[in-house]
Amino acid sequence: MEEKYGGDVLAGPGSGGLGPVDVPSARLTKYIVLLCFTKFLKAVGLFESYDLLKVVHIIQFIFILKLGTAFFMVLFQKPFSSGKSITKHQWIKIFKHAVAGCIISLLWFFGLTLCGPLRTLLLFEHSDIVVISLLSVLFTSSGGGPAKGGVLLLVLALCCKVGFHTASRKLSIDVGGAKRLQALSHLVSVLLLCPWVIVLSVTTESKVESWFSLIMPFTTVIFFVMILDFYVDSICSVKMEVSKCARYGSFPIFISALLFGNFWTHPITDQLRAMNKAAHQESTEHVLSGGVVVSAIFFILSANILSSPSKRGQKGTLIGYSPEGTPLYNFMGDAFQHSSHSIPRFIKESLKQILEENDSRQIFYFLCLNMLFTFVELFYGVLTNSLGLISDGFHMLFDCSALVMGLFAALMSRWKATRIFSYGYGRIEILSGFINGLFLMVIAFFVFMESVARLIDPPELDTHMLTPVSVGGLIVNLIGICAFSHAHNHSHGASQGSCHSSDHSHSHHLHGHSDHGHGHSHGSGGGGMNANMRGVFLHVLADTLGSIGVIVSTILIEQFGWFIADPLCSLFIAILIFLSVIPLIKDACQVLLLRLPPEYEKELHLALEKIQKIEGLISYRDPHFWRHSASIVAGTIHIQVTSDVLEQRIVQQVTGILKDAGVNNLTIQVEKEAYFQHMSGLSTGFNDVLAMTKQMESMKYYRDGTYIM
Amino acid sequence: MGTIHLFRKPQRSFFGKLLQEFRLVAADRRSWKILLFGAINLTCTGFLLMWCSSTNSIALTAYTYLTIFDLFSLMTCLISYWIMMRKPSPVYSFGFERLEVLAVFASTVLAQLGALFILKESAERFLEQPEIHTGRLLVGTFVALSFNLFTMLSIRNKPFAYVSEAASTSWLQEHVADLSRSLCGIIPGLSSIFLPRMNPFVLIDLAGAFALCITYMLIEINNYFAVDTASAIAIALMTFGTMYPMSVYSGKVLLQTTPPHVIGQLDKLIREVSTLDGVLEVRNEHFWTLGFGSLAGSVHVRIRRDANEQMVLAHVTNRLYTLVSTLTVQIFKDDWIRPALLSGPVAANVLNFSDHHVIPMPPLKGTDELNPVTSTPAKPSSPPPEFSFNTPGKNVTPVILNTQMRPYGLGLNHGHIPYSSMLTPGLAVPGIGATPGFRTNFTNLPGRYGTNNRIGQPRP
Repeated sequence: MEEKYGGDVLAGPGSGGLGPVDVPSARLTKYIVLLCFTKFLKAVGLFESYDLLKVVHIIQFIFILKLGTAFFMVLFQKPFSSGKSITKHQWIKIFKHAVAGCIISLLWFFGLTLCGPLRTLLLFEHSDIVVISLLSVLFTSSGGGPAKGGVLLLVLALCCKVGFHTASRKLSIDVGGAKRLQALSHLVSVLLLCPWVIVLSVTTESKVESWFSLIMPFTTVIFFVMILDFYVDSICSVKMEVSKCARYGSFPIFISALLFGNFWTHPITDQLRAMNKAAHQESTEHVLSGGVVVSAIFFILSANILSSPSKRGQKGTLIGYSPEGTPLYNFMGDAFQHSSHSIPRFIKESLKQILEENDSRQIFYFLCLNMLFTFVELFYGVLTNSLGLISDGFHMLFDCSALVMGLFAALMSRWKATRIFSYGYGRIEILSGFINGLFLMVIAFFVFMESVARLIDPPELDTHMLTPVSVGGLIVNLIGICAFSHAHNHSHGASQGSCHSSDHSHSHHLHGHSDHGHGHSHGSGGGGMNANMRGVFLHVLADTLGSIGVIVSTILIEQFGWFIADPLCSLFIAILIFLSVIPLIKDACQVLLLRLPPEYEKELHLALEKIQKIEGLISYRDPHFWRHSASIVAGTIHIQVTSDVLEQRIVQQVTGILKDAGVNNLTIQVEKEAYFQHMSGLSTGFNDVLAMTKQMESMKYYRDGTYIM
Repeated sequence: MGTIHLFRKPQRSFFGKLLQEFRLVAADRRSWKILLFGAINLTCTGFLLMWCSSTNSIALTAYTYLTIFDLFSLMTCLISYWIMMRKPSPVYSFGFERLEVLAVFASTVLAQLGALFILKESAERFLEQPEIHTGRLLVGTFVALSFNLFTMLSIRNKPFAYVSEAASTSWLQEHVADLSRSLCGIIPGLSSIFLPRMNPFVLIDLAGAFALCITYMLIEINNYFAVDTASAIAIALMTFGTMYPMSVYSGKVLLQTTPPHVIGQLDKLIREVSTLDGVLEVRNEHFWTLGFGSLAGSVHVRIRRDANEQMVLAHVTNRLYTLVSTLTVQIFKDDWIRPALLSGPVAANVLNFSDHHVIPMPPLKGTDELNPVTSTPAKPSSPPPEFSFNTPGKNVTPVILNTQMRPYGLGLNHGHIPYSSMLTPGLAVPGIGATPGFRTNFTNLPGRYGTNNRIGQPRP
């Protein structure tokens, strides 16, 4: 039977691939009937599998399911002998496909065990097109069954499924047909699940009395749920439109689900069922509540509605009819289509951007590491119900916000200049460095306050939990310090060996280490490292100091019982953080206040002296030079020249001199006496004229030959 | 002078200078009031912090941070007084106006960081809710509220008033806007306080106090301690909502961005500039706000080779000066180094040096006297021949203006009428007529360029 379908589908693209939308419905009837029948059978299979899952572990169940499917599909499709050979790259993709498929079926069947088959069917058996349009409208789950978690799980799995199908469409073309892909994927997932199943069956004792009695239900489930459904779906989607297929497919499955929900545990069906009555204790489990019926009806209706407008939305003929805009559904559909394509792409592209540059890549990796540590900590804290761990996790999360800001700043600083940000976004890094500095100051302040409060009244501490956490935090932060100072070394060549040696010595030379960190930060303060990275680095450093402080105080408390050590340590750390932040804040402030860049001060002074010696130059005024960002030093200057020199030559000479001094974004205004005359003619305000007159008089004074400056 | 002094004695002079500046500020009578309020604020904050630890209430702590923010705003106010007295130093060439912006930015960011701390603390408190003592809660609330309101209303805080006006509306204000509009419908007298939008600081003070009152009530009635954490979160979020637009606004000033509200005006001015005679292109335009309000900018203007640089410069400056107070305009010409095909010995003279980058221009005598009044670069009714970019052999006309001083009143008298209506062609005719040498040169040129395989393109 399956072979026949397969053949049909293979012939399908040739005959019906270019088929128009309005195929005579008479020809479609048999497909619709076929679809309905299959969906009905699928419902049967799912109810069956629900019963099966009561006795068989879910992993084993999926394994057997995948095994059976793979067996039949390999038999029918012969993926190894037919078709073109599969490359290594494609195998990797198939592997990914299989992993995703396994996860989805795991979620699906787990949801099935939690929610029951009826609700599973209602929730999960939507075709992709319905879900996509459903998500475009605000999705509100009306299925409120007994197991909220199960519903959420199913919705999650559903969303996964839709994404998965969309993603696998391309792969299936690469591999050579969806069926071949399915066959291979099932095979791979069998191999994947195999070790798990073995471990499971060795470790846990099975509830199944006889596997032989389960062969028959398993076969039905395999055939109904996996194979038949897959083939009929694929054939119908080729023969009919996708939306039509979705509409017809959802009717029978929901209705049959309702019917089975009512009659599955009924005595009549009991006799018809292939399965023995192992799990027939509670007859209320499949009971139909009014809400479920109503929601089922709504599901059917919504499937019907949603599958039809999505079709219309894709046509797009309505655009342009109405003068005031397109109808709402059309726009919604377009917007959703757009965003559904662009969100993964957006993530992908921003990741690519992050990984492109050294700074942002390091921040990103460290952020990932930090996040991982945080979540492990939080998870473990919740698991063991340890409040200290959870609060430390929150603290780490709080610290991560600084990293996130640094990452964003590093990303944004590479954006192109716009109308509003006319110099480019490079200055964001400085602002972010400044904010990070403020952040650290706030942290230092709070630690200081806390430690003062504890110094007055030292509390009893429970230290046994602190050490592993702080050692873990220390290791994470040390990695961060190494990474960031490594990046720093590339530009400045500071010492690196000390960092590596300190990696192993977190238990011994703690004070020495903290001193090292402090010294290092001061070293970086002098250089021209970008403010953002400095801020992030100092942040990591502060965290490291915090973990060191915790370890030291723990040791002191455990060894000597000095409870005062803890506030003393934190006091010390707070002061250290504060002192190390001051240079960063000072530098950032200077840049933000448009100070003359200190590192260029001498050159600029010399350059201005040189400018004065240019032939024909009378004087200059308003010399403004400031650092805009790490790479841009901007400058503007007004220059007065005698009337007989060529302005462009002056511009060229001055530009040359100032470029040599390090200013790379220059604007030079060359003024002659004529300019002031023009201006005095143009300006209407009396004060301006007065100022101009003064300028002119001074120029005249210079022109007499008495150069003052 | 100041910097040299600093350089000589770096240790002592920092505090010394600080003290000196402080004395400078303290000499002003207005700053006494601020200092007084600052002292009261410090004591008040101290008491509030004590009550915070005694009540163990995080909501009150969050509210106390608003008081601390008030302290920052007082400091900002003091700084703005200081700025008014300071002149630009050689190192800070733009003056200290931006210090005000930086102070506003720093204090709003600090308030937000404090709110972030509150959020973190309350996340931890949700796990384990400690007991709250309501003893001083209400007292603290009202002390803080009355003090905050008193400070806000009695001190004219220029920078914060400006920012709260200029920044976009915070979500808290948005939510209150509807309410206050309907309230003003009932009592029209209130519209001066409420209507365009409420002062955000007053609003957050009132809202925070309200949240604290609710907390007090619920704890007193039900012993429902979690409401303390909840209202702390609410106050923190409100702080975020209030401070965020202001920090965005001041941050954008610090980032040297063009303020969006002047972009329209700037565009108009730049369009006007680019239609001036001789201007080919305006590029590299950077306009940004120096402090709150005053605009600074620089722009490069590319002009035709035969245009008069000083005149174009004057006109461009004149146009932009209305909006941009600190302006630098760089005029540049393409190919100015190429030899000019001016008739006579000049061209030959220049040609000799054409490969050299320093061209000694022969001291030409002024061909005609150019009256500044009549040198309007307006478009003539019959446009002069247009020139393409990079046209080789273009006519450089080194216009040597008369160097003799003109009595100033004359320029002023003449200046009013023709310059204010610069683009009207009728008035510009005398300007053209006064420079007959130019006209003849122009009219001769197109034929010459025709042979030069490059017909003049229309100007952009």
